[in-house]
Amino acid sequence: MADKHDNDSKLVGLLAQFDDPDSLVSACNEARLAGYKSMDAYSPFPVHGIDPAIGIQRSLLPFLVFVVGFGACFVGLGMQYYTNAAEWSPIFPGYAFKISGKPIFSLPANIPVTFEVIVLSSAFATFLGMWGLNKLPMFSNPLHRISRFKRATNDKFFLMIETKDEKFNRSETESQLNQWGAVAIEECRQDLTDNQLPSWVRLVGLLGVFLLMLPPVMIFRNMGMTNRQPRLHVVPDMDWQHKEKTQVLSPVMENGEYLFADERAMRQPVDGAIPRGRLEIDSEMYRGLKKDYRPKSAASSIKTNAQFVSASLEDKKEAPAAEAEDVSMWLTKFPEGITVDQDFVERGQQRFNIYCSACHGYDANGNGLVNQKAMALGANGQAQWTAAKSLHDATVKDDSKNPLGRIFDTITNGRNTMGPYGSQIPVEDRWAIVAYVKALQQTGIKPLTAVVDEDAGGEDDKKSDADGGSDAEDKTS
Amino acid sequence: MASVNPAIDIDNTNEEPGTRAPLVLGGLDYAGVTETVCAPWEAENPPKIWWLILAAAVSLLLVLGGCVNHLLMKGVGVWGNNNPAYWGWPIVNFVFWVGIGHAGTLISAILFLFRQNWRTSINRAAEAMTIFAVVCAGLFPGVHIGRVWVFYWLFPIPTEHLAMWPNFRSPLLWDVFAVSTYATVSILFWYMGMVPDIATFRDRCKTKIGKLVYGVLSLGWTGSARNWHRYEIAYTILAALATPLVLSVHTIVSFDFAVSQLPGWHTTIFPPYFVAGAIFSGFAAVVTLLVPARAIYGLQNLITLRHLENMNKIIMATGMMVGTAYGIEFFIAWYSGVPNEQFAFINRAFGNFWWAYWIMVTCNVVIPQLFWFKWCRTTPWFMVIVCIFVNIGMWFERFVITITSLCRDFLPSSWAYFHPTGVDIMMLIGSFGLFTTLFLLFCRFLPVIAMAEVKGIMPHGDGHH
Ligand code: HEC
Repeated sequence: MADKHDNDSKLVGLLAQFDDPDSLVSACNEARLAGYKSMDAYSPFPVHGIDPAIGIQRSLLPFLVFVVGFGACFVGLGMQYYTNAAEWSPIFPGYAFKISGKPIFSLPANIPVTFEVIVLSSAFATFLGMWGLNKLPMFSNPLHRISRFKRATNDKFFLMIETKDEKFNRSETESQLNQWGAVAIEECRQDLTDNQLPSWVRLVGLLGVFLLMLPPVMIFRNMGMTNRQPRLHVVPDMDWQHKEKTQVLSPVMENGEYLFADERAMRQPVDGAIPRGRLEIDSEMYRGLKKDYRPKSAASSIKTNAQFVSASLEDKKEAPAAEAEDVSMWLTKFPEGITVDQDFVERGQQRFNIYCSACHGYDANGNGLVNQKAMALGANGQAQWTAAKSLHDATVKDDSKNPLGRIFDTITNGRNTMGPYGSQIPVEDRWAIVAYVKALQQTGIKPLTAVVDEDAGGEDDKKSDADGGSDAEDKTS
Repeated sequence: MASVNPAIDIDNTNEEPGTRAPLVLGGLDYAGVTETVCAPWEAENPPKIWWLILAAAVSLLLVLGGCVNHLLMKGVGVWGNNNPAYWGWPIVNFVFWVGIGHAGTLISAILFLFRQNWRTSINRAAEAMTIFAVVCAGLFPGVHIGRVWVFYWLFPIPTEHLAMWPNFRSPLLWDVFAVSTYATVSILFWYMGMVPDIATFRDRCKTKIGKLVYGVLSLGWTGSARNWHRYEIAYTILAALATPLVLSVHTIVSFDFAVSQLPGWHTTIFPPYFVAGAIFSGFAAVVTLLVPARAIYGLQNLITLRHLENMNKIIMATGMMVGTAYGIEFFIAWYSGVPNEQFAFINRAFGNFWWAYWIMVTCNVVIPQLFWFKWCRTTPWFMVIVCIFVNIGMWFERFVITITSLCRDFLPSSWAYFHPTGVDIMMLIGSFGLFTTLFLLFCRFLPVIAMAEVKGIMPHGDGHH
């Protein structure tokens, strides 16, 4: 073993050249019979019969590919199930496509993609597995330094017996190789002096790594910061558009002033503009005002049928509160087009329970949950709250002071500290609530059905009932 | 090598009974094969004709680039696609190119599994052609999606703000998977097959930069028997994977049509018929490329007349399969008793696109019959002409299928005639520029013939022991 080492290179093995594949195979056979194990043959193409000659075991590669392919089958199916049939996941949830009532998950339709996933994964397993098992890529190999060996990829055949084989003996092995028909024999030496990378490679590498780190660092830094600028979009996508959104400040001009004087980006409709479907010409129906009512002051913006119908939304909103209470303007009966019957009042009950009961209570005595809670907080000084009125209160109940139209207006535009519900409740439903409120007022906290039976006659009956319902009023007050 | 005389075609198309006709001619030995294949790569300058073709190809490529740019700026409206033919030339071109892209894998995988040794001298070029054809094919649906910059929506990638996934029950999505898998596996197969030959280039290379590039690409390949052992197993596995894959790709492409309800599309014959058509057009493209390539590079001793003749036989066989399918379609339309189907086929042959139908039948069914004559299938210049006709015919086949059915769907009020625009035409022509440019670069910088494989099938000098 001594002569294998000298100062600057190490003997790796003896390389014997052969001129044709058949003599290579026979030499390999001889070598194996002579007891050599650490050897390898090199040829420009796979030589027939070489595997048994140098004792190569069958590779595990097919097994590996099978395992990967088998797994890919489930991955493929699972992926499709997850993305198209399951919606349970909290992150990146799937999305169950419903298409023409077909089943969400059906095997036949999912086979093509599963098949492709299997083939793709198996192909990668084969490709990467083969190179991995072959320990390639490996760019540093002492063989590549032998000029004769360059013909191993052209037309010559080589057998190398490595020094690490127990039976290796420099001179004996050489004479054996000669005996087996080697055309030429050469030492394969590994250069020990040359195994350091040139120093600049390290420097460039380090610099490269450093530069590569910069972008991710910048990205993470920016992700942790707040910024008033819009997000950076590499490709202009539809989720970001060059426009101002509602509820933001007006854009600023070059001279530092706001583009819009009111400092809002959002623009209001032009005066007198009426949105589609919102003409609302019928003032009885939409505003609870008598048709022939004319506001006394010219400045008033309350519009009735008698006037030009260009009432804008804002006009209506400001109106009644500003006007001194002129009760005569309010409608005292339900407008035309509204028929009060059991269904209508039940609809009103349902809407009332949804929209009003939170404050006014189910029986309208002003003691809904919100009210209770707010009063409790108010008692501790933790909140400011005006108690929701009991709708059985004399002022609310009195038809002369609070006609139907005015209740409708209360719901639509709010009153005093009560907020408006016009934008949330459609007109007909508001009238239904009015009907239900009237019904409630007659009964105090009696169940609805009893009242509706009496009311079956319609609004006129109801009004007379309301007039005579004094015992109910007594009960609540 | 000096001994190679490229001008002479040796006739090896006849086989003596009991012997195998040689596949490598001109008395080439192992070194001779290496020399012949490396000669064009080692030549200081490529031949003049190479430059000429490259110049033409690059100009067409520029046309293509201009068209794609125009398309991206303006939108898909620059094409002739319009109601009712929303699938116009882009899909026709896609299917055309994907079809061509079938021959490579077929030659390298299926013929490998069938132990057809003659495949070795043509498989490399055919695989390269496959990949370049798939590149051209991918271009068309790629730009057809409109908002190209979000192409990744085609793949099941989780999105932050959409919570949307591809619909895995749609044939168009199967297509995405099939074509991208096919492209990937073809590239793996091609590259893996090329590594030993790149190692040959590495060992012969004289320039520094070449040594570096080919050195890295060859991964340190030594040709060790242990490596060859695993390499051959891997090659067989990849071939076994690629075989069903190549069949699945055009099957799935045909599903794009067949799964819909349109008369003329909704037929079960589509998958086998498309696959046969793909092989047909693919082989025709291989012949069209290899006949000039072997003449320019003097590869006649490796790509022999026998190779060409074999391919021509396959072309004739698949051509007749395609012809049979045309006939069967008519039969089934009649036999189904569905008036819409019957109308669709009568309309194909005699409707306002009759000319396209008869171009298709002439090119695909009639012209390949010439290959019954030995002279026709063994005369290089003549077979190229036939093969060009075959590819014209196969383009028209896709045109006929796509356009005639779309222009005459269930609703007569929406019937219309299809007019391509200039952009349509220029993009089709431009795609040939892309294809040819890639192929020319391949011829210049990579091993055109699988040297290691050819050497493996050469008879050993001194016979078997
Ligand atoms: C957020 C709690 C709240 C809700 C919900 C609410 N109200 Fe009120 N409501 C009040 C308060 C508070 C008052 C007393 C206003 C005041 O006088 O300052 C009031 C007063 C009233 C009055 C008497 C107005 C007057 O003439 O003085 C009526 C009628 C009324 N509400 C009806 C309704 C109806 C009908 C609904 C359902 C659409 C409703 N309220 C929903 C809080 C509410």
